[in-house]
Amino acid sequence: MTEFLQLLISGLMEGGLYALLAASIVLVYKSTQVASLAHGQILAFGAIFLYIFLATLHLPLVIALILAFAATALMGLLIERTTLRPLIGQPLFSSFLVTFAVFMLFDGIFQLIVKGGTLTIPHFLPAGTLHAGALMVPAGQLCSFIAALILFGILGLMFRYTKVGLGLRASAENHQLARSTGISVKQIFSIIWVISALVACVAGIATANVTDIYYTLPQMGIKGLIVALFGGLESIPGALIGGIILGILENLSAGYLDPVVGGGLKEVAAYIMLLLILLIKPYGLFGLVRIERI
Amino acid sequence: MLNLKNIEVIYSDVILVLKGVSLQVPEEQIIALLGANGAGKTTTLKAISGLLHTELGEVTDGSIEFQGDRIDRLDPERIVKCGIVQVMEGRPLFEHLTVEENLMVGAYSRNDKPAVRNDLERVYRYFPKLQVLRARTSGYLSGGERQMLVMGRAMMAKPKIMLLDEPSMGLSPLLVKEIFKLIKQINEQEKVSILLVEQNARIALDLSEYGYVMENGRIVLDGPSLKLLENEDIREFYLGLSDKGKRKSYREVKHYRRRKRWLA
Ligand SMILES: Nc1ncnc2c1ncn2[C@@H]1O[C@H](COP(=O)(O)OP(=O)(O)OP(=O)(O)O)[C@@H](O)[C@H]1O
Ligand SMILES: [Mg+2]
Repeated sequence: MTEFLQLLISGLMEGGLYALLAASIVLVYKSTQVASLAHGQILAFGAIFLYIFLATLHLPLVIALILAFAATALMGLLIERTTLRPLIGQPLFSSFLVTFAVFMLFDGIFQLIVKGGTLTIPHFLPAGTLHAGALMVPAGQLCSFIAALILFGILGLMFRYTKVGLGLRASAENHQLARSTGISVKQIFSIIWVISALVACVAGIATANVTDIYYTLPQMGIKGLIVALFGGLESIPGALIGGIILGILENLSAGYLDPVVGGGLKEVAAYIMLLLILLIKPYGLFGLVRIERI
Repeated sequence: MLNLKNIEVIYSDVILVLKGVSLQVPEEQIIALLGANGAGKTTTLKAISGLLHTELGEVTDGSIEFQGDRIDRLDPERIVKCGIVQVMEGRPLFEHLTVEENLMVGAYSRNDKPAVRNDLERVYRYFPKLQVLRARTSGYLSGGERQMLVMGRAMMAKPKIMLLDEPSMGLSPLLVKEIFKLIKQINEQEKVSILLVEQNARIALDLSEYGYVMENGRIVLDGPSLKLLENEDIREFYLGLSDKGKRKSYREVKHYRRRKRWLA
């Protein structure tokens, strides 16, 4: 029983980060209908930027964090402006492929920097482990999980109560109608890419703080996309729940199945889960309910 | 105030839809734009509001001026800021937003927050039903409620001109009457000019000061609405009346149509 609870908790912590990444992908998909493969790189470069400012330039932590966020936001904005905006009005599949091209481009740069190894960011989240009976939670993971939840809360409030949030929701529904009411949809696209890049950046920095910048870090983008699909692609709560479910499933299969089959199942769990869910619910767990009046 | 000079519109670089349309909308007036299906009425409105750009359409000749400035190259969101709002055909809403959120989206181009709140109250005074439904998800509204909501949303932009595309479509005669009464009120009390596209020629000409009739991408007839109501051809085609005021059978109208065209 303790082992089960421990796996559950570890899964929850990891799942929070998957959820953030998925949310960043959902944000872009909701407003632009582009499923982005590029976000794995945005996440990875969030961590790389922090590495540069913190470990190479030895800037104070707060300044390094701010600069890393700014650089990642700029990266999101540039991707939108240079590769996706010119494709507005073209088939969405072209946009999807372009995000793949962006992934490959940045992967080249990423591998040049990491050189197939690992970069270590000075760990700035609290070290040590919290104990509750026989259960253990690393303090750093707990911090980033709480940060993820807070970020979800902020996103939710922003969408519901701010003018920009209203513009984002309106453009997500109908671009032409949004423009007819005076919303600049292009401006909305830029805003959403910046917000989305910031969210991915938080996920990247938090991940790097736990696992360092390993050369496969950008591939987390694929997992993020899977979680987003799983949650319904358009649903922020779906991303949260999907991410947590994935984290828990991965840990359970690592804890119970890997010893039986001799390891390696943790990674496969995600894909099996997605296939099963999509067989039963083709639009994901929280796929958008279409309003139809008869 | 709004002046279309001989505009030509082409969709997708090849489909010529408007072939030299000129019309004026003076300050604080209601102008009717009539015409059969496919004549190009909606296209004319989209040319004015800039929404053509979102459909691969382009004004390729002529000009559109609003208060002396050319607007035919501007983005739709800029044109809303200038004070021209189009209420699109079919009453499209942001279906997942509530009624009040839809109204607030209408004010997106404005930055005068206190005035926006005032205007929200004002819209609710014109359409008390919307106030009752303010928290309702708009996708579930009825046709009449939708029509009120799209008009209220347009008012929230504080426009100088409203372009209304077939507001009577699919509504009961009683509701049509009510909607048109409200259009008149908005025109008079808010000092908004209205360019009204309608299939219901009778009610449109009753309401408007001046009317244009469109066929095949051209204006074929225009004049003061009272005059148009007496015009032979209008009575035949749009009001379904013969000289003696009797209803003509559809067969006869069609027969007549074959015999005589405005543009032979
Ligand atoms: N986006 C488009 N691309 C190509 N052709 C179009 C487009 N929109 C409209 N058309 C064509 O332009 C012509 C005029 O259409 P428009 O919608 O302006 O007519 P309308 O007078 O509003 O008709 P209705 O009364 O049926 O609404 C039609 O022949 C239509 O097929
Ligand atoms: Mg039309």
